[in-house]
Amino acid sequence: MKGYRFVTGAVVGALTSATMMVAVQAAEYPTKAIELIVPYAAGGGTDLVARAYADAVNRHLPQSVGVVNKTGGGGAVGLSEIMAARPDGYRIGMGTVEITTLPNLGVARFTADDFTPIARLNAEPSAITVNANAPWKTIEEFLAYAKENPGKVRIGNSGTGAIWHLAAEALATKSGLKFSHIPYDGANPAVTALLGNHIEAVSVSPAEVSSHIAAGTLRILAVMDDQRSKAFPDAPTLKEKGIDVTVATWRGIVVPKKTPANIVETLRAASKKAVEEQGFRDQLTKMNLSYAYLDGPEYKVAMEKDAEMFKVLMKQIGLSK
Amino acid sequence: MYELDMLLHGAQALFNQPMALLLALFGVTLGIIIGALPGLTATMGVAILLPFTFGMDPLSGLLMISGVFFGGIYGGSVTAILLKIPGTPAAAATAIDGFELTKKGQAGIALGTATFSSFLGGTASVFVLIFLAPVLARFALEFSASESFALAVFGLSIIASISGVSVIKGLISGFLGLLLATVGLDPMGGFPRYTGGYTELFNVPFIPVMIGLFAAAEAFKSLEDPQVRAGMAAALDRIIPPWHMFRRQLGNIARSSGLGIIIGMIPGAGADIAAFVAYNEAKRFSKTPENYGKGELGAVAACESGANGCTGGALLTMLTLGIPGDAVTAVMLGALTLQGLQPGPLLFKDHADLVFTLFAGMLVCYVMMLVVGLGSLRFMGRILQMPKSVLTPCILALCIVGTYAINNSLFDIWIMLAAGVVGYFMQKWDFPASPVVLALIMGPMAEANFRRALSLSGGSYDFLYTRPITAVLLTIAILTLMLPLLRRLWAQRSPGGPTTINPAAGSSRMGTPE
Repeated sequence: MKGYRFVTGAVVGALTSATMMVAVQAAEYPTKAIELIVPYAAGGGTDLVARAYADAVNRHLPQSVGVVNKTGGGGAVGLSEIMAARPDGYRIGMGTVEITTLPNLGVARFTADDFTPIARLNAEPSAITVNANAPWKTIEEFLAYAKENPGKVRIGNSGTGAIWHLAAEALATKSGLKFSHIPYDGANPAVTALLGNHIEAVSVSPAEVSSHIAAGTLRILAVMDDQRSKAFPDAPTLKEKGIDVTVATWRGIVVPKKTPANIVETLRAASKKAVEEQGFRDQLTKMNLSYAYLDGPEYKVAMEKDAEMFKVLMKQIGLSK
Repeated sequence: MYELDMLLHGAQALFNQPMALLLALFGVTLGIIIGALPGLTATMGVAILLPFTFGMDPLSGLLMISGVFFGGIYGGSVTAILLKIPGTPAAAATAIDGFELTKKGQAGIALGTATFSSFLGGTASVFVLIFLAPVLARFALEFSASESFALAVFGLSIIASISGVSVIKGLISGFLGLLLATVGLDPMGGFPRYTGGYTELFNVPFIPVMIGLFAAAEAFKSLEDPQVRAGMAAALDRIIPPWHMFRRQLGNIARSSGLGIIIGMIPGAGADIAAFVAYNEAKRFSKTPENYGKGELGAVAACESGANGCTGGALLTMLTLGIPGDAVTAVMLGALTLQGLQPGPLLFKDHADLVFTLFAGMLVCYVMMLVVGLGSLRFMGRILQMPKSVLTPCILALCIVGTYAINNSLFDIWIMLAAGVVGYFMQKWDFPASPVVLALIMGPMAEANFRRALSLSGGSYDFLYTRPITAVLLTIAILTLMLPLLRRLWAQRSPGGPTTINPAAGSSRMGTPE
């Protein structure tokens, strides 16, 4: 029975190669397509960074990287999924600043320690922006007004516990002021309310108000960054004004903590090559996003610093659970 | 006239760019397909196409995206009318009367009317965008939290007019929706409510609930007797509505388009709200309001022209102020910036050539939508000839795939199926499903904006009567709620009218959450 023998041979052959595959897989990562989980909806800032990165990194990995959006819970659903993924490098994720804020709110099963950072790609600081008709021309005038009128200055943010709310709270605690924080469903509605003069200021990123700055309808008073923004060099940093507050949102690639070192190294190297491409940087600039690459270890340091800061801040303002 | 001149120039420029027209056609077709499938939304379509526009010239990219936007809003009506599966939340309003018409064997005319109404509403809104944009631009900024709250209360009051036979059953459905709307993250405090520890429940899974209540429930119902053919095979003999019928809808369409345009301009309000509001007003002004809910062509015309009227309104605020009114225009705003165009008052002056070519292209998109729509209807209508034993499993499969596509989440599928079971019994006991959908749209909007308005005013309730738009909208809301009661009283006086008064209708002002 020739046929029978052939089948046996095929089965044995398949089994052997399957066993060999497993051994090879760890050494020759990646051997199949990689899923990049984005915890926010398609079309948003995090998604745009992810898609630009996937485009670029595809040229430096033997297998393709595909974006999958897992939305919900202000990022908690997607981030939980990244944390719980099998640590084999085939499900990696976009880690955002919410990794360091959500655990304090008591709505997440992860902490910052559950992730191994691969590369930070983008960061946007918070900025204090007011209507162009507002009487305050400088941040000092604005803060002085807030001091005289505690609770009267309404600052719009993108949701309670979200990064821009925390930024405004950080400014309030550091400068001993009292604002009225108004949460909106995202940064855009808050900016709209500011344009209509329904609130006094917003704490969203310069990128989210840039078109209105260009049109002359809004004015940035200060940014919460270590250095001035390249796009708006006239706006001072709070640090320059003696208020040591830096708050920024950031986005980068992370993998589950237990991912083997060789996979982490492969991804780090590929990411480094991807972000060095001019095409990737141009695409970010085009989308009004700032390029802010940090390699894995430095990204980890930045992440830990934020985790510590938000832990203290959120306890102080009574948001921690 | 400067605008007209520029528009003609734009049209000329446009027809020298066959590639842009081809991409627009592609966009419109894709939009209709996306709109017709439950779970796939115009936002998703636009977001997926966005990276492909990177390499295109600005006109082609923006026209393709506009095509998806327009087609996506219209496409929802097709499956809503034929199968009672609203492809988009706005089509949930169309489904109320559209599916009744199909049951009566008038699917063809219902689809034709929906297509023409979408075309007219959309085209009217683009014309408003072209000629009145600078005049109307500031309107959107008048809208603060208190106005949005009042709009949402008005939206909730519409439950009274979409309840069908029994207002009390409609109100029960509406309150069920409001209860469901309390699940999720608290809109102001950010803490979870009734989530049972599931992060998936942090946002109310609105679209899965809608797909379940409408489509899955309908599919479960037809499982009862799978042998029956849909039995509406001959229904699609006529698609283009006869002129004497359509003429009567023109006033209705004009009013609904106007409402759609205004609602489109309001930040945070979109096609879904416009469709329900247009339905309500069409019923209010109709000579035969009792036919609404039982298969009235005017209802289909109103919903579709209202929903598509939104497109021009939303584009207006986006282009003139740089404020995106909804998720689709937010992505479009990104596309504009990518192409080096800065939305705002200067856009119309600095890039007049491109902007007016784009406007001409948008009008062409709507013509394409009309042609593609009418052309595909006969093909789509064949669905009705399928035996139920084939159609029903297909619908259920579509429900599951569509639900999964929203968030790539299995959890949503269970929600959808549970809603389907609830919807099945609601249908059996004559509880209408559309009040649930309406409450799920309006409830969170009313709650969040009421509390936001309170924090804006420092805890004072004055905003309820000191702000003119708020006061007017709240007054209309109360009138809408009282209308069924007043009608009953009126009918009671005249001989032969119903003699019982529905006690719930009077107390229904409690439709306001909190």
